Amino acid sequence: MKFKTLTGIASTLALCAGMASADSTVRFWYHFDNADNPMDALVAAFEEANPDITVEAENIPWNSYYDQLYTAVIGGNAPDAAMVKMFAQPRLVEMGALAPIDDWLADWDGADGLQDNLIELTKGPDGQQYYLPVQYVVLYLYYRPDMFEELGLSVPTTCDEFRETAKALTRDTDGDGQTDVYGFGFRGAKGGHDHWATFTLGAEGVSLTEGLTSEAGVAGTQFVADLFQQDGVFPPSAPNDGFQEIIGAFKAGKTAMTIHHIGSANGMVEALGDNVSAAPVPECGGGRWTAFGDESTAVLSSAEDPEAAWKWITFLSTEGNNTMFNEATGQLPVVKADSESWTLHPQRFVQATVDSLPFAEMLPNSSATADFVNTAWPTNMQRVLTGDIEPAEMNAKIEELFAE
Amino acid sequence: MTHVSETPKHRASLGRQVLPYAMLTPAVLVTLAIVFFPMLQTAWMSLHEYVLFRPNDFTWVGLDNFKAALNDEVFWISLKHTIIWMCTTIPAQLLLGLVTALLLNQEFPWRPVARALIIIPWALPSVVIALMWVWIYDSNYGIANEFLLRMGLIQQAIPWLADPDTALASIILTLTWQGFPFFAVMILAGLQSIPQSYYEAASIDGASAWRQFWHITLPGISGVMMTAVLLRMIWVANSFDVIFVMTGGGPGYATHTLPLYAFIKARTNLDFGYGSAIAVLFTLLLMVVVVFYLKRTGKAVS
Amino acid sequence: MALHKPSTTKRILTVDLPMLAILVFTLGPYLWMFITSISDESTLFTEGPSLLNATIENYTRLFRTVGFAENLLDSFIVAGGTVIVGLSLSVTAAYSFSRFNFRGKRILMLQFLLINMFPLVLLILPLFVLMRVLGLLDTHIALIIANSTVAIPFSIWMMVSYMNGIPRSLDEAAMTDGCTRMQALRRVVLPLCLPGIIATGIYIFITSWNEYLYALTLGGRNVRTITVAVQTLIGEYEVQWGLLTAGGIVGALPATVLFLLVQKRLISGLTQGAVKG
Repeated sequence: MKFKTLTGIASTLALCAGMASADSTVRFWYHFDNADNPMDALVAAFEEANPDITVEAENIPWNSYYDQLYTAVIGGNAPDAAMVKMFAQPRLVEMGALAPIDDWLADWDGADGLQDNLIELTKGPDGQQYYLPVQYVVLYLYYRPDMFEELGLSVPTTCDEFRETAKALTRDTDGDGQTDVYGFGFRGAKGGHDHWATFTLGAEGVSLTEGLTSEAGVAGTQFVADLFQQDGVFPPSAPNDGFQEIIGAFKAGKTAMTIHHIGSANGMVEALGDNVSAAPVPECGGGRWTAFGDESTAVLSSAEDPEAAWKWITFLSTEGNNTMFNEATGQLPVVKADSESWTLHPQRFVQATVDSLPFAEMLPNSSATADFVNTAWPTNMQRVLTGDIEPAEMNAKIEELFAE
Repeated sequence: MTHVSETPKHRASLGRQVLPYAMLTPAVLVTLAIVFFPMLQTAWMSLHEYVLFRPNDFTWVGLDNFKAALNDEVFWISLKHTIIWMCTTIPAQLLLGLVTALLLNQEFPWRPVARALIIIPWALPSVVIALMWVWIYDSNYGIANEFLLRMGLIQQAIPWLADPDTALASIILTLTWQGFPFFAVMILAGLQSIPQSYYEAASIDGASAWRQFWHITLPGISGVMMTAVLLRMIWVANSFDVIFVMTGGGPGYATHTLPLYAFIKARTNLDFGYGSAIAVLFTLLLMVVVVFYLKRTGKAVS
Repeated sequence: MALHKPSTTKRILTVDLPMLAILVFTLGPYLWMFITSISDESTLFTEGPSLLNATIENYTRLFRTVGFAENLLDSFIVAGGTVIVGLSLSVTAAYSFSRFNFRGKRILMLQFLLINMFPLVLLILPLFVLMRVLGLLDTHIALIIANSTVAIPFSIWMMVSYMNGIPRSLDEAAMTDGCTRMQALRRVVLPLCLPGIIATGIYIFITSWNEYLYALTLGGRNVRTITVAVQTLIGEYEVQWGLLTAGGIVGALPATVLFLLVQKRLISGLTQGAVKG
């Protein structure tokens, strides 16, 4: 905290001095899961290398992050740079809030150091580039190797195998007549669309923008509903479970499998040691689908000193700094050199991530995505799980949303 | 002090007329500027189609948003829940708060400690309360289920928040826990204004504890109680931060209330025009209830 | 309330035990939070919160790296400021409503209620713009003003009900003795409704202390209250349970301690014979 105060005083002094000698300030918004203020070290390193720029980094609570960002943009008090995700890009672009970075990118020699394809993946809806990737994760399947061994099971590679495996894993372990372990921890609350998508969008010809209401599309949602209602392999709390519930249940041994990403890997190992491992998600309906969890930085169009803001965000995606950044966030670096020397996570989880990259996808780059993620998917999925509506209706509603 | 009473008569009466308004002015000005005008601005927005990520698109649509709201099934579901919500949470909080206040007014050695501790649920930030109770209700490792299982009251852990039938009730319990200290404190303060002599006289006349309560205590605190209920009604109807964190309005629409729905539409979906319309409708409905309540309790403004 | 001093056993049965039951209900979750905050985080999910391996690491981290002390101070300034502004504005207004009859009285009182009926969350945008235009973003004053506007209507209504409980004859007696209205208010009415003032003050303090939306939007790097700080512990992929519960425990303490200090004044009797000249 002393360090923070010192940095605070230093920043203020620099700011005052700056006003006199045309120094710039970059206001940066971020959200970290790590409470130990690791951004301080990065800010200090940057300011040392760029003495004429001061960075004011502000940690905004995640669950209000985008509310705050939109309010600030509309209210005229937007930051100069911020951490941003792909689902928000269409809206931000439509609001005219982002500054295109194509020109800067062309001049930047760190551009080649990024993982192949990342720049392409994060292109804006109008073809211009606004986002600079800074970290990523890919969702994979967590499973309990000890339980699998106990029951003589192998890791499922197709949905049918998955169903059988989950049913075998759902059992009563202490003989009291109650189910103690469930096969799969399904995430029914907001943010769980990736689970559903793995079972549905892998099918041939099915995607969020087309084929959802086809037989194959509805079969996917039906599969999820059946797993819950008929087979009982999800815990009864599934409709309201968020990430903390599925992670907690898995750690506590209440579920034998779940889907998440490397961000939780270290916590899992801490709780379960060698009894946790990961594999790519099963193939369903002919193909695999898993979510690519993106995070980038961007320069806002209202930035006071866009060049300084650009310098700051490229700093974060440069070799060495990117490692520092990701050590703080627990995700994977986007810089090739950094991923090669990556040691923060046990190898098996990195392997599962890399193996899943070929079929990792992002949600459509349209403004309907935000509504899908925030309200349309959770509400409809919950209603299907509780038997309120049929799977066909849910798929129809979602297709309608994206058709607009 | 004496010079005041020598003020000329006409000036005194003018002063007397102006004084009440003068005493009100600061409060009125502050609330007008900071709240009332923004409220009118929001009401204005409800008459337009206004989506926050298209800030230049501000088209007049008249009452279309309102018509859409009245045709929206989620609106009616939310309204129903709001009514259930208000009709159960407030009496529960009131009753528990009243009992607590009466107990805290008695003489017993550890009274100061009890008084201070009772305020804790009220003093906790909503998000902490919500998360804590989510964990308590959790069906995999929450103590609520564990406790009930051990007592043999249930056979299997109940997913309190994931089952549409139990979700609302569970949240109501949490809110009762959070809110009853408010009533306890307010009523306790009100109990102080009842002179001890009344009780002494009644006791001499041989009145039982119950009759004393009914004829002395209740009338004495009725004013405070009625006001507290009114204020609490408005507050409870409007609050949704606990629900939002606990279930986000789900599963499905099972715990949607009107202010929550307005919030989701405006802040999450960024549909400000529609969200504002819902908020305006909600305010109008609440106002009707309040006016009705004031007339009934005769607790008007005298 | 009942009059003759009851026997101790009777008292224990009718007062202590029910009080204890209520306290168990009240404090149960709080204690659960406390145990979680001192549990070893690595076994939190596998074994559940427990007192084995208790550690105060969460508390030290809370203050050292999250900087919770600063947050407490910010919350305190905002809440304290709101109490001062809120009480001063509402006491005079409440006296006016309680003692006078004038045109527009009903409308004005209803107007105050109306303000609180509107979902505050939709007012954030206009308020944000207003504060930015005034240059007050990220200052304590902005939060104090915003919180006061929420607190004032309620306080006025509560104070009116307390003041109505004090007979007007007392005011009049004072005025025939030569006091002005304001002096009657200060010397007679205020001391007598001190319990009401204390209760209202506590209400304002707590409401402002727990307020999140305004604190988040109108605050920033310089003003970060505990409610905002606690929210940063809820991350995208992880909830820092240990720190969160520690923050909750610490966050509830100031209001509780404050209440402990003032609760005696809450129970100042009216029976000491009101105004005796």
